[in-house]
Amino acid sequence: MWRTEWLTTLRRRRLFLFNILIPLTLVAAIALSSAPAVHAAAVFTVLFALFGTFGSSIPLIRDGESGLLRRYVLTGVHPGGLLLQRVFATAALDLIELAPSVLVIAVAGGSSASQLAIVVPAIVLGLLAANALGALTAALAKSVAEGALFSAVAALLLLHWAGTFRTPVPGTWQATLEAWNPFRPLHESLLAATGASGPDLDPALLTAPTGVTLAVLLLLTVAGRYTIGLGGR
Amino acid sequence: MFEAIELSFTYPSGRKGLRGVSLRGDPGDRVVVMGPNGSGKSTLLRLVSTEFPSHPGSLTLFGQARGPSPRDLRRRIGIVQDTPVHVDDLTGMENGLLFAELYGLPKDESASALEALFTSLGLDDALHVPTREYSYGMKKKLLIAQALVHDPDMLVLDEPALGLDPPSQEALLRILEERSEGGGCTLVATNEPALAQALATAVVLFHEGEIVAHGSPSELLAQVGGATRIEVHITATPAGLPATAPSLKELPADILSIQRLPGRIIAESGSGPDVLPQLVGAVLRAGLNIERIEIREPDLADVFALFTGQTLATRDEDA
Repeated sequence: MWRTEWLTTLRRRRLFLFNILIPLTLVAAIALSSAPAVHAAAVFTVLFALFGTFGSSIPLIRDGESGLLRRYVLTGVHPGGLLLQRVFATAALDLIELAPSVLVIAVAGGSSASQLAIVVPAIVLGLLAANALGALTAALAKSVAEGALFSAVAALLLLHWAGTFRTPVPGTWQATLEAWNPFRPLHESLLAATGASGPDLDPALLTAPTGVTLAVLLLLTVAGRYTIGLGGR
Repeated sequence: MFEAIELSFTYPSGRKGLRGVSLRGDPGDRVVVMGPNGSGKSTLLRLVSTEFPSHPGSLTLFGQARGPSPRDLRRRIGIVQDTPVHVDDLTGMENGLLFAELYGLPKDESASALEALFTSLGLDDALHVPTREYSYGMKKKLLIAQALVHDPDMLVLDEPALGLDPPSQEALLRILEERSEGGGCTLVATNEPALAQALATAVVLFHEGEIVAHGSPSELLAQVGGATRIEVHITATPAGLPATAPSLKELPADILSIQRLPGRIIAESGSGPDVLPQLVGAVLRAGLNIERIEIREPDLADVFALFTGQTLATRDEDA
């Protein structure tokens, strides 16, 4: 599966180039402007999360509709394992495609090496979570349009609970949810990279969201045959 | 290899796909199922290939009851679905290697197995061409190669010859016969009588989810007799068509029966096409215009018509 995803991406050179250039255009325009850093960080967080979620859900729905996923599963391959491989492969490809954008953010925000040591794993975690969310929304969608809608709503809701649009009041359930949210490290690290928050990032920020992401990936593996539109086959 | 006992299947809409079907395929068998659209052929294939989930009745595969997660059973089955589906950006070889990998084969082994299959199916020129450039027939050949790459114990093929040119159909027949000699079991759905007759060790005729006839091709053909069928297609004369067929009294004794259908007259001859001049003469004397004449030996489509009073579709998009 890994090989297939990579080969397919390499063959679709035009799409690969667009996937690099389009986010880069938006990121460069904002990062190099006088936009407030806190707003810039929110836009980048939303962009990265939606990039991962859409990039995972739409190809899965398309392959489900064409019957390709069903054909794969009929080879006897574990549906959860298949799904997990796709999630990891697409997350890795997203990281490559977004790398120039991350570089622009880091250079424009004057990020230090110690900040980048947290920013990069936070982005990896965010993309992994976004791709897992895309796989989950693909299971509910019956068309690409539905998938896009479900992915957007689910990602935006999780981003809201990650404190991307407003900081939750400490001690409330929203604050608890924020601490465990896989998109929180992504947002916090982008705040730091754009200079909207202090220069220091606590690596412990990654702990709980990493646990949640791993739990979601485990759930995807166990319930794989229900999550890719196979109706338990 | 597979045994269905009183197997039924109902679609979510409430439509009955199968009604109490009992059927088995043993090592070396080539079981061909025939029937019009919606008769239950593809439903049976999807159940045997484990594509469809649980169902009333009993289905055993390789001596085991089908469980809720039949992964081990799936590895022993090769499937050709009616609609070709591939990763369009990959070449034929890359698609084949992907399936070999999914079946758990080592890459070097699978590459040589695929090359041999592509050669025997006449697809060797297109090994390294992206499948988006493949014709329908080429895609079908690739599906066949993917189904065979892991040398499965059982093959489940839905209209495998549809879109194949005659040499490729012959190659497919050869491959299936060789596999059968090696003890493999094949379950095929097709509505092509010639293919079914050439391929099958057993033919099963389906109608409305039920089996209406089951036997070897020769056993089934014996039921319609060995008479040559001569179809005389007629057009209306200015006076209109007579209500009855030409009288048998005017025809040679070798014509065993004659049947008048809208637009055609079907005669069964015990001495092949030798009776044609007399038959044509009788039709013309009856004041009919002849549009064209078809002469053919009886086939499995006639057997189906005998049992159901209906015709087989030549191209099936059965659900």
